[in-house]
Amino acid sequence: MLDQLGNGLLLGIIISVASVALSLLYGVTRIVNFAHGEIIALGAIATLFFSSPLDYRVLFLDKFSPLGLNFVISCILAILVCGLFGGLLEVFLFRPLRKNDVGNIAVLVVTIGLSILVRHLYLLFATGKVQNFPLELQRRQTYLFFDMTPRNLNVLIIGIIVMIIVGLLLTYTRLGKAMRAVRDSGELSSVSGINSDNIILITWISSSMLAGLAGIFQATINDVRWNMGFLILLLIFAGTVLGGIGTSFGAMIGGLLIGIMVQVSVGLPFMEGHTEAKNAVALGVMILILLFRPQGIFGKKERIS
Amino acid sequence: MTSAKISFRLIFSLFVTAFSIYLVFLLNPDGAPRILLNLFTFAGIYGLSAIGLNVHFGWTGLLNFGHASFMGVGAYVTLLLMPHAAGREGEVTTTGLPFFAALILGIGAAALFGLLLGLPAIRLRGDYLAIVTIAAAEIFRLLVRDLESITGGVYGIINYTENFQKYRPLFIDNFSENLGFSPSQAWVCLAAWVSIFITVLLLKRLSDSPWGRALRAVREDEDAVRAMGKNAVWLKLQSFMLGAGIAGLSGVLLAFNYGSLETTVFIPLLTFYVWAIMILGGVGTITGPIFGSIIFWVIISETDRLAYLLFENANGQQLAGVRFLLVGVLIMFLMIFRPSGLLGKKEELLLDVK
Repeated sequence: MLDQLGNGLLLGIIISVASVALSLLYGVTRIVNFAHGEIIALGAIATLFFSSPLDYRVLFLDKFSPLGLNFVISCILAILVCGLFGGLLEVFLFRPLRKNDVGNIAVLVVTIGLSILVRHLYLLFATGKVQNFPLELQRRQTYLFFDMTPRNLNVLIIGIIVMIIVGLLLTYTRLGKAMRAVRDSGELSSVSGINSDNIILITWISSSMLAGLAGIFQATINDVRWNMGFLILLLIFAGTVLGGIGTSFGAMIGGLLIGIMVQVSVGLPFMEGHTEAKNAVALGVMILILLFRPQGIFGKKERIS
Repeated sequence: MTSAKISFRLIFSLFVTAFSIYLVFLLNPDGAPRILLNLFTFAGIYGLSAIGLNVHFGWTGLLNFGHASFMGVGAYVTLLLMPHAAGREGEVTTTGLPFFAALILGIGAAALFGLLLGLPAIRLRGDYLAIVTIAAAEIFRLLVRDLESITGGVYGIINYTENFQKYRPLFIDNFSENLGFSPSQAWVCLAAWVSIFITVLLLKRLSDSPWGRALRAVREDEDAVRAMGKNAVWLKLQSFMLGAGIAGLSGVLLAFNYGSLETTVFIPLLTFYVWAIMILGGVGTITGPIFGSIIFWVIISETDRLAYLLFENANGQQLAGVRFLLVGVLIMFLMIFRPSGLLGKKEELLLDVK
């Protein structure tokens, strides 16, 4: 049970980081971003590309050779790449859509198309196989009650620190206040001198960078797959919804809870021999939450029917 | 909207469809009839499913992204009620209902599942409903995969096609022999297009009825419907059931076309295929998805050939990637530049969350 709790915390921190990113974006732009998972995968794939040894030719269809950089530098570069990707998406795709008053549902369908497109670009140009980061194997050790590798412990600690920093930034900086202002009312914040286009651009960039970080976490703990983003996307939605859509702190807690729920449910007696169904439990919880407390655990009550 | 304008659109769609079929002949000088049969079978089945989705989204404005699960429920219930073999050992079940009884129960089960999935629709706004439906579809798929003792799990169901093929009329065999078709696929193809024909007739009647007008009124302004004394909730649920039943029928046909049924058929990508077809054909129309489906499948089936040329040393998974990639591009571009599709009317499109 404790092992599963440890695994749950790890999955939880991944989902938590990704949910905050999704929730931030939804809060400011009202876009339900189905392509969020693909930005997560980009973080992992870019890290793989930057850090793999030069002769690692299985990857990238022999067309590009990896760079063989130091792993930490690769991670930072990959997060920057994700930020750039998010920024480009906003400038060349979503800003024009917004200016043309394309409705929310149309934008949602566009993100689904984008997700399918980008995911299969990864399949074609990046990796059809399951890959691992070029890191040494590590032995599991016991920390407090949990068995995990030192690397996974690092993921957990970095994840928690990032969460705290994001929380502080949102609460106390001018930028964070401006984001919350645009979230509450785009028009009113424009009137009070906030350039909402810039705020939305910054939101896209920071949301994508967080997603990229989540992808690096996911790939460090597990592996790199072309469809890794889509596999985890519904759990991220679940985390976001559980905490309350649009609330960053809710998304943090919600993501953590979903991760723990998924991994601990494996250990429940009636789940014996049904490990495949573990995601179904989390998704079921999400549907129930949406039905009976649609504002989530921490969200404010508003009409969402 | 003048009728001249509509008929212009119809002629244009017919022209594009005819051209895309011509393209198949052009690209496949040898095996065109066989490829066309395959294409029309898939086009018929997916077109039928898209017609069902159009009842949800086009008529009632319900953002359903769990369409694959309706097809799945229809297929699984129907097959499991008939004689079949399932699971790793291929455990044989010899007793079962005759095909038509099982089919009706399967469609009924799909409609019931639609009712179940429609319940969240009473309370939730569009984008939330999208998340709920896609999650519910995944739950369905994961459970089916997990309940191996009943559904065969990842090993799937086999040996069920005879239940349907034994009704195959003799003329299909003669006809297929002349053209080099597979007679069983020809029979599925015919069944799919007959189903489309009947469904379209039914929907045409419903669409002009007071019920159909009330449905579209729900899409436009729910409060107004309530004010007129109509039960908007019940209308939404009925729409969900009707569309889900149609999808269930198409799921059964899909199962008979494949010859064996696995859970991987009902991944979310299936839903997105159907969405692409619906948007291509025209949201809110009845016949639009038929044209959309034919054109879509011409594009899809000819992409494989293109992919071979582009990526010489790509493996099968990557070749399939090219076609999915194209589906993504199609969905994006249609939604941005022509959200009403070939036949749709822009005024009848619900794209804003109220």
